[in-house]
Amino acid sequence: MIDRREEKEERKMKLKVYADRMSQPSRAILIFCKVNGIDFEEIHIELSKRQQLSPEFQAINPFKKVPAIVDGRFNLFESHAILIYIASAFPGVADHWYPADVSRKAKIHAVLDWHHLNLRRGAAGFVLNTVLAPLLGLPLNKEAAAEAEKVLTSSLSTIENIWLKGDGQYLLGGFRPSIADLSLVCEIMQLQLLDEKEHDRILDPHKKVQTWIASTRNATKPHFDEVHNVLYKLKLRLSLKQSSQADGERKSGIKGPIISKM
Amino acid sequence: MMGKLNAYVDRMSQPCRAILIFCRLNGIDFEEIKVDIAKSHHLSPEFTEVNPLQKVPAILHGNLNLFESHAILAYLSSAFPGIADHWYPTDVIRRAKINSILDWHHSNLRYGAEIYVTNTVLGPAIGRPRNPKAAAEAEKVLLSSLSKLENIWLNGDGRFLLGSFQPSIADLSLVCELTQLEVLDEMDRGRILSPYKKVLGWIEDTRTATNPYFEEMHNILYRAKKKFQQQRSRIAESGTETTNNRGRHSKM
Repeated sequence: MIDRREEKEERKMKLKVYADRMSQPSRAILIFCKVNGIDFEEIHIELSKRQQLSPEFQAINPFKKVPAIVDGRFNLFESHAILIYIASAFPGVADHWYPADVSRKAKIHAVLDWHHLNLRRGAAGFVLNTVLAPLLGLPLNKEAAAEAEKVLTSSLSTIENIWLKGDGQYLLGGFRPSIADLSLVCEIMQLQLLDEKEHDRILDPHKKVQTWIASTRNATKPHFDEVHNVLYKLKLRLSLKQSSQADGERKSGIKGPIISKM
Repeated sequence: MMGKLNAYVDRMSQPCRAILIFCRLNGIDFEEIKVDIAKSHHLSPEFTEVNPLQKVPAILHGNLNLFESHAILAYLSSAFPGIADHWYPTDVIRRAKINSILDWHHSNLRYGAEIYVTNTVLGPAIGRPRNPKAAAEAEKVLLSSLSKLENIWLNGDGRFLLGSFQPSIADLSLVCELTQLEVLDEMDRGRILSPYKKVLGWIEDTRTATNPYFEEMHNILYRAKKKFQQQRSRIAESGTETTNNRGRHSKM
């Protein structure tokens, strides 16, 4: 009898999501939970303050990374595993997010798997080594940035020409978004931190990609923008900084980059 | 009935071996179609139709063409009847844990092991220049991954990943990645693997649980290993290899 009561207590315990909204995979999970009306508690782990290294968080995730979840007695990390778990374990999540159909599900797995060493590696590596590193007290690595850019451009081409093939406007020709769309779009959003010219240079050639980002954002509003607010605020702060640097360079007679549009 | 399963593979590829072993072990009826990477068959128009990303493994099953080995393993576990639950449990929580290690694998063990082996042995073997910097970077990732396996992923009562008593598709995938280290110089391989006792035990347990198919699918790798050992012996004996002057003979 006692065990059954304990079980009921556990189920009553809310899902806890350990996240930093500056982290692309964290955002995917937060948006997913909000869009699907999942009852959860968001626990902020501030990466810039290295809170992921605390002993408390290490007990949640020995790999010391966000996102991570605790559901009752069960901990889980790796955002794709988390998205799949939530889609499967919580009632009321619409089928298009993670279809029951074995073949469609398999195709979504394929995109999710491809993502790690392609879009994720390229986009995260490029943004880290051109913009974010100084903010995290790390050195900028030009060689790593160049490598990452190659992977990023190649990945965007693959999305444009292969993954976005089909009748619908989502990945794999879907008419409604899946967890793969959410994961990959949140990754690409990190490119917002780049200076306007860089951002446009990288994304402009990929028209389908741009439409797909807009569709995904639209399909998950207002949560998409709400969760991305921290990113937008940082983007603004960075572009103001870039502006004033440019002004300073102009006043001293040195030609600088074009001022970001705001 | 979905029709025949075709598996496009090269047995020198780690994820290909995982799929072949899984199919044979589970009595899945399929045709193995060899795609010789060394001969660039993966770049042919015929294969590009099967997988536009031009990578092995890939499968064709009825109307479905699928690539990415973890997606394939998960698909096979679900689409074919009679596959024991421990390979990819239906329990949502156990499955989630297996998914998390399959995800972790890409940027960790796979990235470290593959790049290290390519930059020290397999790349030079097909005429690619050695890249000691890439090898050093990859080695760091490889060692860190082995440490995580030893101290975190292999924690628990059972001898398989996540403390399980029976292997899952994660065990098969990761062990097939580690067997690629067989082509390394014996001392190098020993240096890298010997600190990790649990990992070494786990590789053996997975091999035992999946024999004779494990041995069969690794035959080509063992032959390649022998060939490399003989080459290294010849170089050591003739003393012409100036960058690897250890003066000892490889065990054969």
